[in-house]
Amino acid sequence: MESAFKFMEMESNELNSSDPSQDCFFKPQNWDDSSLDHQQACDPFESALSSIVSSPAAANSGAGDGAMIRELIGRLGNICSNNNSGEISPSQQSYNNNNNSTNTSCYGTPLNSPPKLSLSIADHHIRAKLNVPGSYFPPSLVPLSGDPGFAERAAKFSSLVNGQFGMNEAEFGYRSMARVDPGKFSRGLSSGPGGRVSGSTPNSEKKDNQISRSLTPENGEFADSREGSSVSDHIPSGVFGGKAENGNAKKRKSISRGKAKETNTPSSPKDAKVAGETSESDAKRSKKDGASSSGNEKENGGKAKAESGDGNEKQTKENSKPPEPPKDYIHVRARRGQATDSHSLAERVRTDSLNEVRREKISERMKFLQDLVPGCNKVTGKAVMLDEIINYVQSLQRQVEFLSMKLATVNPRMDFNMEALLSKDIFQSRGSFPHAPYLLDSSSLPAFPFGYHHPQQMPPLHNTISTATGTQFPVNPLSAQALHRTPSLQLPAMDGFAESDPQVPTFFEDDLQSVVQMGFGQIQQQNFEGSMASPQMKVEL
Amino acid sequence: MMNPQRLSLSFSSTSYKYRFVQGFIRALKRINRQKLATSLLSRSSPTEIYKRYLKVKSAADASMASAVGLRRAWSRALLQRIRDQERINFGNKYYKYCPAGTRIRGKSTTFTMIRNIKRSSDDRNCKDQESINNGALGWKANELRKLVPGGEAMDMCNLLDETAHYIKCLATQVKLMKRIADFASA
Repeated sequence: MESAFKFMEMESNELNSSDPSQDCFFKPQNWDDSSLDHQQACDPFESALSSIVSSPAAANSGAGDGAMIRELIGRLGNICSNNNSGEISPSQQSYNNNNNSTNTSCYGTPLNSPPKLSLSIADHHIRAKLNVPGSYFPPSLVPLSGDPGFAERAAKFSSLVNGQFGMNEAEFGYRSMARVDPGKFSRGLSSGPGGRVSGSTPNSEKKDNQISRSLTPENGEFADSREGSSVSDHIPSGVFGGKAENGNAKKRKSISRGKAKETNTPSSPKDAKVAGETSESDAKRSKKDGASSSGNEKENGGKAKAESGDGNEKQTKENSKPPEPPKDYIHVRARRGQATDSHSLAERVRTDSLNEVRREKISERMKFLQDLVPGCNKVTGKAVMLDEIINYVQSLQRQVEFLSMKLATVNPRMDFNMEALLSKDIFQSRGSFPHAPYLLDSSSLPAFPFGYHHPQQMPPLHNTISTATGTQFPVNPLSAQALHRTPSLQLPAMDGFAESDPQVPTFFEDDLQSVVQMGFGQIQQQNFEGSMASPQMKVEL
Repeated sequence: MMNPQRLSLSFSSTSYKYRFVQGFIRALKRINRQKLATSLLSRSSPTEIYKRYLKVKSAADASMASAVGLRRAWSRALLQRIRDQERINFGNKYYKYCPAGTRIRGKSTTFTMIRNIKRSSDDRNCKDQESINNGALGWKANELRKLVPGGEAMDMCNLLDETAHYIKCLATQVKLMKRIADFASA
């Protein structure tokens, strides 16, 4: 059934985001083990990558994670988009065509932005460095320095990213990352991790710095890369990850510290741009996170460092990006971007408790529904249960349609105290109606001229309907559809029946009022407390 | 908060049945009167049958919803929907355009949209709702929302509530209609 198909699709979507079996896909499990411990072997970029991938991979439901990912992707995408004008991987496009179309447009705009520094060297080295196992990393990372338009592009991208709702953010992160160019990246995969460190020219190191810095949304030290030749010397010393950043921290501390204090006080125009962009994305993130406030991330990062106790990263408290994912990774899936101070902690606790209560309510109602829907006792899990419920409701609705069709065709006349008779009969007895033979004559007579005009049509219909009464509704869709097809062409001809219609619009007003009044008046009337009504009272109603 | 016990007890079976049957039988009688009065020639044409089927179906839905009353969201939504359709049909037949119909449509859809927006903007409390909506359950929940009248503007919790009540009423409706049909055709 289509429902099953859609469910599988949904499942596959979810699987895609966390599927470790895909070749070019990031392997969160491996990465989790290696990234944090082997900080020396990893770039700050890679560690940030690992954080990106691992945290959403592990906590797919964390809504706040996607915001960070989007930010990072924005930066990376803008970096790489300068080079990857046409190299968007087709394999990833199959994931989500809609996403691709909109994202390629986003990538398209920054493509033509001017400053492209020595891209070839940067490409190669960056690719070598970005040797993270299987990550989709944009292999060619244009140095962000000197890119005045970067902030706007990143902002554009993040806004575009935020506009694309309805997809799991982690998935989106993966997909947009994936699209950049896994093909190129696979080349980088072949070279070992050692290739990263060796042969790093100052140029590439500079780019490395820039990349690592670019990953930190709070740090807009693009200006630093320019002057960073002296700083970059620290990198080959083997201090990657936090240490690499630590090496650069001389320049960055002054700036990032300010940022870590949750006040984006840019010390340079470029920082201002980036800060503007980060604040904008922060605003967007906070919109998503709800409880989080902008810049909590940095605070979070700072606290995360203390909590995670990563020695390498102690010195880079201000750099919230790389340490934060470890914090997310090590600890319970706290929502990203949420501060850890008491105020927002309390808020978060409250939200969690509210969610808990809500989930309890939902599960309680699911249990109740399980009793209602026949044949759902063995079913466990919300998804299958919902499937069953949907099927049951659909079947009931179809039954109503079928019965109304039957009543419309088979039952031409129902007068003569039918109301009183029927109500008594319905409530008292199920099977045989004492007045049935009496009414049979009256009802059969009109049936005769009814079926008289189309003898071929009526009897088969009648037969199908009567035979199908026992079974539920296998015949109904066919007969109903058969009837539906022809009338649909002739519906405009219904306008001729104007004289009968004056009654129709008044039907509901009259009947509603009268029925409600009758209902209220007759509630005390317990005449119809039939034998079948009471035992089934709990079950049915 | 409605616990299952309250759900089952709040649904009074006999009075509901009685109201439903009353309303439905009256509607059927009216429809049959129309049937006899109007078309003697083409009574059993497919068009006629289909029209009558539609009337019977909407009569069944209306009587079910009115039997429930206005205390459930789905019954309100169902009644509104039927009213809209009837007004549109009515308007089409008498006037060549139906401003009333479009107005009502717009109002109901706007109302739903507003409620949806409100619901989604409540970030904090809807975080769980969002996660439900974005997960595998979200798609199913949307399917369920399409089935249950008035379900678009409900969060998961209320949706399940309404679904339970709706299922109960539907089951009763089916049973009663079956009896009526058997009785009438027997």
